[in-house]
Amino acid sequence: MADLYRADVLISCLHGQSADLAPTFRQEIERRGMAGEVRVVETGCRGFCSVGPVVSIQPDGEFYVNVQPADVPEIVEETLVKGRPVQRLTYKEPTTRKSITKYDDIPFYGKQMRIVFRNTGLIDPQSIDEYIAVGGYEALGKVLTSMTPEEVIEEVKKSGLRGRGGAGFRTGRKWESTRKAKGDVKYVIANGDEGDPGAFMDRSLMEGDPHAVLEGMAIAGFAVGANQGYVYVRDEYPLAVKNLNLAIQQAHEYGLLGEDILGSGFAFDIGIVRGAGAFVCGESSALMQSLEGKVGEPRSKHVHATDRGLWDRPSCLNNVETLANIPVIMLRGAEWFASIGTENSKGTKGFCLVGKIRNPGLIEVPMGMTLKEIIYDIGGGPPRGRKVKAVQTGGPSGGCIPTSRLDLAVDYETLSQAGSMMGSGGMIALDDRTCMVDISRFFLEFLKDESCGKCAPCREGIKRMLEILTAISNGDAKMGDIDTLETLAKTVQAASLCGLGKSAPNPVLSTLQYFRQEYEQHITEKFCPSGVCRSLVAYVVVDDKCKGCGLCIKVCSQESIAGSAKQPHVIDQATCIQCGACFDACRFDAIQVIPRSQVELLPKQEVHA
Amino acid sequence: MGVEFEPKIVAFMCNWCTYAGADNAGVARMESPSNVLPIRVMCSGRISPEMVMRAFRAGADGVLVMGCHIGDCHYSTGNHRSVKRMPLLRNLLATVGVNPERLELTWVSAAEAPRFVQVTHSFTDKIRSLGPLSQEVAE
Amino acid sequence: MNKLIIDGAEYQAQDDQTILDVCRQNGIEIPTLCYHPAMEPYGACRLCTVEVIRHGWSNLHTACTHPAWDGLEVKTQSPAVYDVRRTLMGLFLSRCPHVPVIQNLARQYGVTEPPFATDDPDQKCILCGLCVRVCNDLVKANVINFSDRGIDRQVGPPFLEKTRDCIGCGACTIVCPTGAIDIVLEEAGVYAEKPLGPTAAIYVPSLQAVPRVPVIDTDSCIRFRQQDRSNGKIADACGVCQTLCEANAIDFDQQDEILDLTVGSVIVATGFEMWDPKKLSQYSYGRSPHIITGMEFERLSNAGGPTGGQILLSDGSKPKRVAIIHCVGSRDHNAHAYCSRICCMYSLKHAHLVRDKTGAEVYEFYMDMRAFGKGYEEFYERVQEEGVTMVRGRGAVVDVLPNGKLRVKGEDADLGKLLAVDVDMVVLSTAIEAPHDADKISALFGLGRTADGWFAEAHPKLRPVETNTDGVFLAGCAQGPKDVPDTVAHAGAASAAVLGLLDRGEVVIAPTVAEVNRDDCVGCGDCLLVCPYTAITRVEGKAQINAALCKGCGTCVATCPSGAIMALHFTDDQIVAQIDGVLAWA
Repeated sequence: MADLYRADVLISCLHGQSADLAPTFRQEIERRGMAGEVRVVETGCRGFCSVGPVVSIQPDGEFYVNVQPADVPEIVEETLVKGRPVQRLTYKEPTTRKSITKYDDIPFYGKQMRIVFRNTGLIDPQSIDEYIAVGGYEALGKVLTSMTPEEVIEEVKKSGLRGRGGAGFRTGRKWESTRKAKGDVKYVIANGDEGDPGAFMDRSLMEGDPHAVLEGMAIAGFAVGANQGYVYVRDEYPLAVKNLNLAIQQAHEYGLLGEDILGSGFAFDIGIVRGAGAFVCGESSALMQSLEGKVGEPRSKHVHATDRGLWDRPSCLNNVETLANIPVIMLRGAEWFASIGTENSKGTKGFCLVGKIRNPGLIEVPMGMTLKEIIYDIGGGPPRGRKVKAVQTGGPSGGCIPTSRLDLAVDYETLSQAGSMMGSGGMIALDDRTCMVDISRFFLEFLKDESCGKCAPCREGIKRMLEILTAISNGDAKMGDIDTLETLAKTVQAASLCGLGKSAPNPVLSTLQYFRQEYEQHITEKFCPSGVCRSLVAYVVVDDKCKGCGLCIKVCSQESIAGSAKQPHVIDQATCIQCGACFDACRFDAIQVIPRSQVELLPKQEVHA
Repeated sequence: MGVEFEPKIVAFMCNWCTYAGADNAGVARMESPSNVLPIRVMCSGRISPEMVMRAFRAGADGVLVMGCHIGDCHYSTGNHRSVKRMPLLRNLLATVGVNPERLELTWVSAAEAPRFVQVTHSFTDKIRSLGPLSQEVAE
Repeated sequence: MNKLIIDGAEYQAQDDQTILDVCRQNGIEIPTLCYHPAMEPYGACRLCTVEVIRHGWSNLHTACTHPAWDGLEVKTQSPAVYDVRRTLMGLFLSRCPHVPVIQNLARQYGVTEPPFATDDPDQKCILCGLCVRVCNDLVKANVINFSDRGIDRQVGPPFLEKTRDCIGCGACTIVCPTGAIDIVLEEAGVYAEKPLGPTAAIYVPSLQAVPRVPVIDTDSCIRFRQQDRSNGKIADACGVCQTLCEANAIDFDQQDEILDLTVGSVIVATGFEMWDPKKLSQYSYGRSPHIITGMEFERLSNAGGPTGGQILLSDGSKPKRVAIIHCVGSRDHNAHAYCSRICCMYSLKHAHLVRDKTGAEVYEFYMDMRAFGKGYEEFYERVQEEGVTMVRGRGAVVDVLPNGKLRVKGEDADLGKLLAVDVDMVVLSTAIEAPHDADKISALFGLGRTADGWFAEAHPKLRPVETNTDGVFLAGCAQGPKDVPDTVAHAGAASAAVLGLLDRGEVVIAPTVAEVNRDDCVGCGDCLLVCPYTAITRVEGKAQINAALCKGCGTCVATCPSGAIMALHFTDDQIVAQIDGVLAWA
């Protein structure tokens, strides 16, 4: 039995600069002779990326943000020895600048509902005891001792849980199909191949609470009649691989995996398979090919994996986030779970909220929360002086939803109807400095490399769409190109082999749906109003507004701006590379974006650098 | 001796080779001497010395034992027995005062109709020149 | 059996069929580029996209991968399908603007010009993956594969470097729909020692082969070559012929094998050999390419032969005069005294063929025309009417003249004159003779042979198919020269004789067996030593004969010193009575 401590120091954000934090704490605590009474715990992610690394002191719940090793002696002295918060390191409410000492009081967390990420950041992911202490493996015990597989499936069906990987297939139905499929050997597969750029929900989960995934898999195995499970993790997540491996080993030691689990006669084992990081391997058939040791290429799926999947055996593939919901549903009941969310989308969903926003991070909200609430109330809205133009959801294959529709409730159906998708939960806030042509181009640029290249529409279609988008942003396009782009996009959507190809045109189609006028502006006016498509724009100083502060001169990497103090500055169009740094830097809105074609109309100005 | 001596010759023929050869000679309308009196046995190995002696005693002037060529025996090795017995018997004949030339062992296959005719002719001629056995024994 | 509606008409399908299978089977045209019947559907080109309506939901699917489920409604020509194919062909044409297959298909969907800029006008590869799949899945050479992802995807050997692992089978060039792969012979390169391109490894040996079925040349067959490469272990390569053979007639595991069969009867039908005319030098066989045997003439005039059935001289011209010489090696005391029986009729046929195919003059040297069969005489008359010159008399000598012509000399017995004819070609109607190794068969079965070497039947008139060995029968030329009808009749008779034995189910043995008089037997055992059939055993100290094994040769009877054995039907008493009888009568 673990020793009793009077306080725990929980350190999150184990990536990056916080690596030195834990050793520093331990040294400091040791130095003060408190090693026996205070424990340092490295936990998983708390999602509040904008203020990391974060440290929380339990049991009182002091929450410190942006903690550096140099802050450690002060925290130990003030909080652990003297028992008072270090005001300097607490979270400040952005508008009021009011200091918030306790974790629970921070608005970023206030609107969230953490079911999947119930333990991340609160427990030591490398300790099964801590997981058990917070109720872990209780669900597995309940299932194995008091439920039949059919009852488990019925419970999952009643809960309304749907696949969190993106497609939103009903989990209970999938389990039921797998259970009913003919075959002695069946598999449970956890999809942890999180390929969307900028997404890290699955990673945080596997790193911060690996046992939740394992427990969900074991319950799934019991329900569908499988004795073997695999977690497919990308090799870029070494900590996830490490923690999962450790968790499997510990679960074996505790008899929670392996033969005759909890004396129930049920046997279940889990293996880790590391993926090489191909985006397409998140697609179920490609993932299974990869699991089999083949090149990860999708297959036609007229026969479901639940009937013939991995090694042609019935296979139940769920996202790790889906699986992490299972223990909670089993413990608290389907009715409780079904009470959260909308009519067809139950429970919560994790999102990686990024982009032009104040509080980027990993969040978990109940289904049905509006985009507006997410962006403004949790995300804190755009940075000062900017406007949210659109929200991109669903990862590279998702779509853009314009500000006008921000009161959309987030669930599977509404997002699809709006031309985007839930996807695995990427959410990017785009502001008025984002060009929609460019954003389409950005995602297609990603997809052109990540398409496996097997089927012609995806491979050739993406290439051609990208060419057209590039032409548009370079000002080389003609009006008919938008129609060609749309036809291509629809063909790729209709004719592609797998989900990657079928959803690849989403960025194009959704931006065309909501921002067609911006496309047309690129072609007819040869102008990018966001100032992103460099060939089409020029930056000029508006003399009336320029206070001659010289800030723009400092940020210009090309030394293209000249001007004396308190005099309007001038941008040399010959050397300007249209990076827009001056525009972003100017506090007086004195830099203006104009079409490139109008540069010649400007009065000639001498520029002296 | 107004009438030329016509010997009586008993010919033991094996069923498979010589008898068939003789039959073929007949089918082919070949003429063989009527002196030769055929007795069909299944194999030349069936001919015991007693048979030969019996033939001489019953008035034969010569005895022919005919069978398959060595290696062709229908019973594989029946003629191997004959080839051991007959030379022995010839030696015995001399001791009882019979010219051993009056007994001959020879091979005629089923396909050798002409040989059958030739063998029987020459043996008949030989016996004819030797004269009757009764005369020889009397002497 | 599944029922589905395709373009408004109902069709039936098996469970394992795809929509494409059903369409192809019923002549409904669906374009494909990445499909090959020998390989698993791949679904990469997406050109076979059709509209599938199931449970009221309409979706686009590829026909090559979609199972032909019961109750589906399929539209192969709907506007949505057309639009997809049109766009796809635009993409393909932009990628490969100069490939005829692509151009033609694109034109079918109204695309005549590449809608997008072409990166590489020489590009022929559409990345359908057929070559990759044939190399890996079928040939199992694993030489080429895809590299890179997305739009950078390309096909080639590892690292796109030359590889020695290519077996040069050429399968990839065959399946490539666009002709993007060539086999190049490099003078000193890696492919130089490899065979050049595909050789047909499966073929019918000749047009008139009996049975007319293909054989696999294991030296060329990819499957067998791959087997050798993996040190005799079966690589399970290719096997396309097996996959595609609807009759399931191909078995790669078949080997020559020696079977041990226990049988009750044997029919010896070992046939004949052609007599070698070099043995009689007057025919000059071997001294000119234009002196050929009847068998060689058969090959020459055969439609599957080297000249496609034309009768030609070695320079390719048609002969103007041909001599056919009968009885070469037959009815000749320097060779075979017997008549080979078949030569007259085949010579007449050859004469007819020469007249028919070349119009050449034909001189037929014959001694007697033995046209004894049904309709044979009529054929003889017909050939005479066709203008063949019949010379009654053996063609005595064939001389090769310095100018290459051939001079046949002989006597025309009808005219009583010596004759010499200069011809371009001489056909020797050579004798047939018993196989050179007939003696081995003879020893094996204890068969007699006639002086001319043929196996002897048990009786020339009454038992023409039996031999003197029970259960062994003769059929065809093994017994003596026969033409085809006679051979068939003879063989039929032999079969009938065997069937008679089988039908009866039991064997009637001759009653001529030996019996032991146990009272007289002293148990010396001499009889045991001489019995060739081990029919005698010693039971309780005395000889006992197994009547089923005994063949009744009587050797034991003659051997028994006690006179204790009696040969039934050839008892001592019977023989003595015969001796006495013949001598008394004589």
